[in-house]
Parts: sequence; C-alpha cells; structure tokens
Amino acid sequence: MSATSTAGSALRTEGLTKHYGDFPALVDLDLDVRRGEVFGFLGPNGAGKTTTIRTVMDEIRPTKGTATVLGLDSHRDSVEIRRHIGYLPSDLALYPNLTGRDTLTYFANLRGGVEWAHVGALAERLDADLSKKVGDLSSGNRQKVGIIQAMMSRPELIIMDEPSTGLDPLVQRELQTMMREEANQGHTVFLSSHTLSEVQRVADRVGIIRSGRLIALETVSGLRTKATRRVELDLDAVADPAVFLAVPGTGDVTVDGHRVALTYAGRMDTLLAAVAVRYQLLDLSTQEADLEEIFLRFYRDEATDPTASSATGTAATA
Amino acid sequence: MSALAVSTMTVRDRWRGVTIAAVSLALMLPLAMAAYQSIDISLYDNFPEAMRTLMGLPEGADIATLAYSVVFSSYGALTIGGVAIAVGTSLVAGEEGKGTIGVLLANPIGRQRLLTAKAAALVALVVGASTLLWAVGRATPVLLDVNIAGLHIGAFTVHFAASAAFYGMLALAISAWTGSRGAASGGATAVMVIGFFATGLLPLISGAADLAKIFPWYYLGASQPLLHGLDIVHVTILLAGSVVLYAVASFGFARRDLRDRSVGTTLVDRLREQPMTKRIADRIAGSARVSRIWIKTASEHQALLVIVVTAMFWMMGVMMGPIYAGIRRLPIDVANVLPESMLTFFGGGDLGTPEGYYQVETFGMMMPIAVVLVAVAVGAKALAGEEENRTMAVLLANPVRRTRVVLEKMLTMVVYAVIVGVVTFAGVSVGSLISGLGMSITNIAATCLLATLVSLVFGALALLLSAATGQTRIAVSVPTGAAVGFHVLNSLGELNGAWWGRLSPFHYYLGSDPLMTGMDWGNGLLLAAITAILLALAVPAFARRDLRQR
Repeated sequence: MSATSTAGSALRTEGLTKHYGDFPALVDLDLDVRRGEVFGFLGPNGAGKTTTIRTVMDEIRPTKGTATVLGLDSHRDSVEIRRHIGYLPSDLALYPNLTGRDTLTYFANLRGGVEWAHVGALAERLDADLSKKVGDLSSGNRQKVGIIQAMMSRPELIIMDEPSTGLDPLVQRELQTMMREEANQGHTVFLSSHTLSEVQRVADRVGIIRSGRLIALETVSGLRTKATRRVELDLDAVADPAVFLAVPGTGDVTVDGHRVALTYAGRMDTLLAAVAVRYQLLDLSTQEADLEEIFLRFYRDEATDPTASSATGTAATA
Repeated sequence: MSALAVSTMTVRDRWRGVTIAAVSLALMLPLAMAAYQSIDISLYDNFPEAMRTLMGLPEGADIATLAYSVVFSSYGALTIGGVAIAVGTSLVAGEEGKGTIGVLLANPIGRQRLLTAKAAALVALVVGASTLLWAVGRATPVLLDVNIAGLHIGAFTVHFAASAAFYGMLALAISAWTGSRGAASGGATAVMVIGFFATGLLPLISGAADLAKIFPWYYLGASQPLLHGLDIVHVTILLAGSVVLYAVASFGFARRDLRDRSVGTTLVDRLREQPMTKRIADRIAGSARVSRIWIKTASEHQALLVIVVTAMFWMMGVMMGPIYAGIRRLPIDVANVLPESMLTFFGGGDLGTPEGYYQVETFGMMMPIAVVLVAVAVGAKALAGEEENRTMAVLLANPVRRTRVVLEKMLTMVVYAVIVGVVTFAGVSVGSLISGLGMSITNIAATCLLATLVSLVFGALALLLSAATGQTRIAVSVPTGAAVGFHVLNSLGELNGAWWGRLSPFHYYLGSDPLMTGMDWGNGLLLAAITAILLALAVPAFARRDLRQR
C-alpha cells in the first residue's frame, strides 16, 4: 500500500493551522488518512477535533497550511469533494418541522444519486423512525437521521464528528459494525471521538490531538503492544524474578513458587521467548491491554510521551 | 434556588419588550397632543357614535382628554394588555416550549413557588410599565403647556394597570393549564379584543348595554376614570379576577404533566396522517416542499406571509374603498381634517381624492412597512437563521456551492416581497372597484411595483448583512432602523422641499406620485439597481467567510 502518496490518501493535512483571533485552535497539523481505513481521531473536549473537521469541510478557512480530500483541495474543490463524502457534524442540528424522511429527501435532492432502498436498509439497521418530525425525536433518534444522511450516498469518505452522541449501546455497536463494513468495501471512515472504547473497537489507526497539536499517531495494535497489562505465568519450576526483570518492559514482579505475576508493556513474543530459555510454560493468562491508562495520560499531560515511558516499563500500573 | 431569583431573572428577560412598548406609547402622547392642538377637534363630535365609543372618546372632549383617551385607553390598553399576555404566556408555556422547564424545576423549588415567583414578575412588569406611562402622562401637559385640570391621570393609570394584569394572568392561567403557547396567547388575546369591540358596540344596541359587563374590558374605561376618578368597584373586580386567575393557574400547574419540548402539529401534518389525504399531503408537505432550497425556505416563513398578506388585502386594500366612500358622505371637509405636516408623514396625499386617501392609509406607510417586514425577516433569517440554528453545517455537507445557497435564499425573499406587492395590488383594486372610486388600475400596479422595489432595497441589505455576519440580530435591526430613518428623512425632505430628501430610497417610491401619474421607470430602475448591487455583494460576503459555529 502506497500510504504516503497523495493518491493513496483519503484525507491529508499539511501544516494545518487555525487561529481564532490570538487563540491557536489548531497548530501545524499533519495528518494522513489512508483509503480504506477507519481512522480514529481522539482528543479531549476542546482539543481541536471539530476545528480540524470544519476546516476540511470548508466551513472555516485555515490560517495556514492545506487540507486535501481524495486528492482535491479542501477549499478550491470543496463542492466536488462534497460529492464524494458524507459528513455528520458534531452537535447535529436538523430542521425540526421536517420529518426524518423529508429531511433525507431534501438532502437527496441536493445531492442526487441516492438509492432509497439503501436509505431504507440503513434506517432498519439503526432502528430509525423516519415518519416523525425531527423536532419530536429524542437526541439519539435525531442522531440516527444524521448518520443515515451521512451514509446514504455510499460516499468514498465518511467524516463523523462524535457520532455516538445520544445513541444507546446496541445502536452504537451496530454503527461500529457499519463503519467496519464501509472500510471493508474500500471506503474510508474518519471518526472523531473522545471515547477510547469506541475508537479501539473499530479504528485501524488512531491520531491523538491535544491543545490543537497532534501528539500521537499509532495503529491500535501498536498502541496495544505499548500498553501495560498484567500477565500471570505458571511454570514447571520455581521462578527466579531476575529472569523476568531482565526483559525490557516488565515491572512489579511477584513470585509465588511456580507462579509469576508481573506487569508488562511490549510485544508478547519477546516475553515468551525470554521465558522459554529457562522454563516450560504450563499456563498463561493476561488481561486485555489497558489503553485507557495510556490515553488518560495523553489527555492529562502533553509534556511527556506516555507511549515512550510505558514502553520502558518504569511506569507503575495503578 | 430562591423564588426571588426566578422573579429577577424573569423580569430581566422581559423588561426590554415591556419598556419598548411603554416608551413608544409614551412618545405617542406628546405627538397626539401636539397634533390635536393644531386641528379643529370638534371634528370628533361628527364621528359616528360607534367609532367614538370604540376609541373611548367622550362627547365634547378637549385636547387633553382626546389625547389621553386615544393613546391610553385604546392603543395603550391594547398594547400593554398584549405585552402582558406575551409575558404571561412565556412564564410557563414559554419555558416548556423551549424545553428549559425541566432544568428550572430540577432546582429545589416547588411548582407553586415557581408560579408565584413568575406571577410576581408579571405584576412587577405591568406596574413598571404603568408607572412609566403615568410619569409621562403627568409630564407631557407641563411641557406642552396644556391644561389638564380635572383629569385623573393617576386613577386612570390604576384602571389601566389592573386591566393589563388581568389579561396577563389570564394568559398565565391558560398556559399553566395547557402548556401551550398558542392556546395561552390566542385565548387571552381573543378575550381582550372581543371585549374591546363588544364594550364599544353593545351600548349602541338598545337593551344590550348591560351585556357589556361580562367583558373585562368594560371595567377599564366604562366608568370614565379619566374624568370621574377611581371606580373602586371596577378596579376591585379586575384585581379580584386576576387573583382568581392566579389561583386557577396554580391549581392547573400543580396537577398537570409537564410538556416535553415539541414542535407544533399543523393542518398538513394531520392530513398526512389520514389515509384519504395522505398521498396528496405527502406530495405538498414532503417531496414538493423539500425539492429545492428556495422552496423549503419559503415554506418556513409562511405564517408571517399569510398574516401580512391577509392584513394588506382586506384591511389596507379592500376595506379602505367602502370606508372612503363612507367618509366622503359625512358632512365634514375631509381635506382639512389633518394638518398638512402630519399628512406628509403618512406619505402625503390629498384626502379629497380616493388616490390621496389610499396614499395616506395604505401606500404611505403601511405597504412599505408590510413589504419591508417580510423582506427583512426572510432576508435575515433565511441565511443567518440557518447558521444560528446550526443547520448550515449539514446543508453545506451536500455538494452545493455557498453561492447557490445565497442565490436561492435571495429568490425566496424576492418571491415573498412580490407576493405582498401583488396581493396589495389586488386588494386595492378590488376596494376601488366595489366602491366605484374609479382609480386607475395601471397606476395602482405601478405604485405597488415601486413599493415592492423600495422594500427590496432593505430586504437586500438584510440579506447582505446576514451573509456577511451570520447574525440575525444585526441583519434585522440595521435594515429596519435604516428603513425608519430613510422614511423620516424623505418626509422631512418633502416638508422642507430640500434636496437631501432625495438621498432616501423612499423618495423614488412616492416622489413621482405614481398613483396619479403612473409608473416612473427611472425611479424603478434606480431602486432595482441598488437592490442588485447589495445582493451582488452578499454572494462574496458569504463565500469568503468562516461559518459561525453557533
């Protein structure tokens, strides 16, 4: 995959900067979202996620830098871009006096080429009621209309800003499945969110933004290897703590006869290889990687790079 | 949260509207007094009795009595009553409509206390407005050197305030029971307006005079408090009525399920639910309505259009014909009823001719007001409103140029203004025809066309500001202020025959006397050109700018 060439990019920003007066909402953002992936865009409230998206959508214009979508300039070719993408704005507002179906008809008229069978299928999967007036819907049900609106033209790129807002867990799951299916069909999903669990479940790669700067860009599996997890090993002999402490990324080693418990951040095969030199491994149990802890550290403190520190194993698991 | 906080907050939210109404009334009083000073007021004694009782004019009244009666007991009482109704409606039903009642009642304050606090705010606002009017009522005669000996301004104000409080409480009671803004304001306004007409007209029918006592309006002025002082019984009836309504409100509010925020159900919605009418209603309300941006925009402002168009057709168009025909038969010299200077302000015109009469009543002020109102409202809200409601983001997620959005919104505005123009033309033509006034239909068309064009200048300004700022507040207030200012400038220019009157767009509307002389294409083209320039500027203004997030 030629991920670095523009042709392979679904969305690319270079040095994207946006100032509101003196306030730098976005600073030199370089992003490269590949075609066919689900890209998770994570960050705390007010980090600049929505500003990035609004710039890409040409709602606002960058102070500096450029954004290209599907190889087209976000400002110059904005109409052509919007022919090929679907967009769900954050804090979605629709026309209260129109029903869901009227709303979708309106946008389908503006867009052209929408198959109603597909709209019906989307509505069914999300369990959306299109016959009620939007103003009478709860925020979650209104959100469903917005999601259908973003997906109904089978766009090449779907940009969703906090799509799970107001949705119940079942519908959230369904939406995540739908996003994965889009990616499997070669479409791209740009998913902005502040909840990790959602991104962790669907995204291939994650960009983390804080105070208008991109502070990390990783694959989800890459993050997972860097995350600290608890590992318990049953060995065929009494364990020697020194063996385990020698492996980079371990910590908190406790030995109880044949059983060893430790925290570990790194690739699992490295640890297992080190164990296999001395012992036969009878059983192994491990917790799911605690990404949450990494993210919380990302959110709290931008000075240190938490992936780096956890990879050394010095960080204690709380 | 203390009850006091609720009262204070409510007063803070509402005082502006109340004050504006009171101040505009206060300004009318000196104007009326000055005007009556310069005309022969025995004219009013020639008015048909029905008209005099409606306006609250005692026979043989002097200048001061006339001015007070006209300004306070008809316009004033209706205006302040209307404001009290608006406040009374907003107190409970308004919070429910906006969906804020939930968070308000999440605070440790009972419904009973909440209602008391709200009612206290209503009373405070009514008392404030009445006090302001009382002060102006005392000061004006001194400033204008008019003798008001024997007039009981204070007593009159008490009647006035008690009456306004009654209608406010009525609206509060209905809104507390139903939670519906429409029911509260509609019901209370109907009671007020029907009472206004009934108490004016019933005394003219022999034997029916006592029937007027069932209407609250009767207790405002029937005892003529301005001349005879306070009527304790009447005031007590109004105040007791207010207290009863307040009790009714608390009983209703305490036992009812609160409404969730919801949108109104319209006739078309009902038709869409009926299997018989579903197909056709779906076509109109569904697919046809959302087929284009401009058509959908047009569908959003229908209510305003329907009200304005109805008023212009019937009241300002058709009815003026028979009224003029009636006045012409009265034994008074119509041409000299009002001073020249005042006529000029209403657009000028010779009251001795039907054209002059229509110019004063319909074309001078009302028609520009009507078309400017519609054009400015649509020009401002169509674009900036969509931005403030945050729907612009999802609209512009579609492959449409910003330029196209501006152009389609523009089209809605022009179509709306043209509809008001055409309907007014139809109304005036019908009025002239049925009364045999013999006005030139072509000239009426020319005048309506020029009125539409001059109003579009201000609509275009509204659209430009809405495109450039994204704020309806600016886009409504600046063009409205400009329209009023230019209208005054034009009138003053006409009065003084000064060149600077030509700086006003309104000069190119009636300046050529189109009702008599027909279409002035030069003026029409000039107005159209100004409109076109303003609209042309709106396109880049909107395309260049960052959209506001809220």
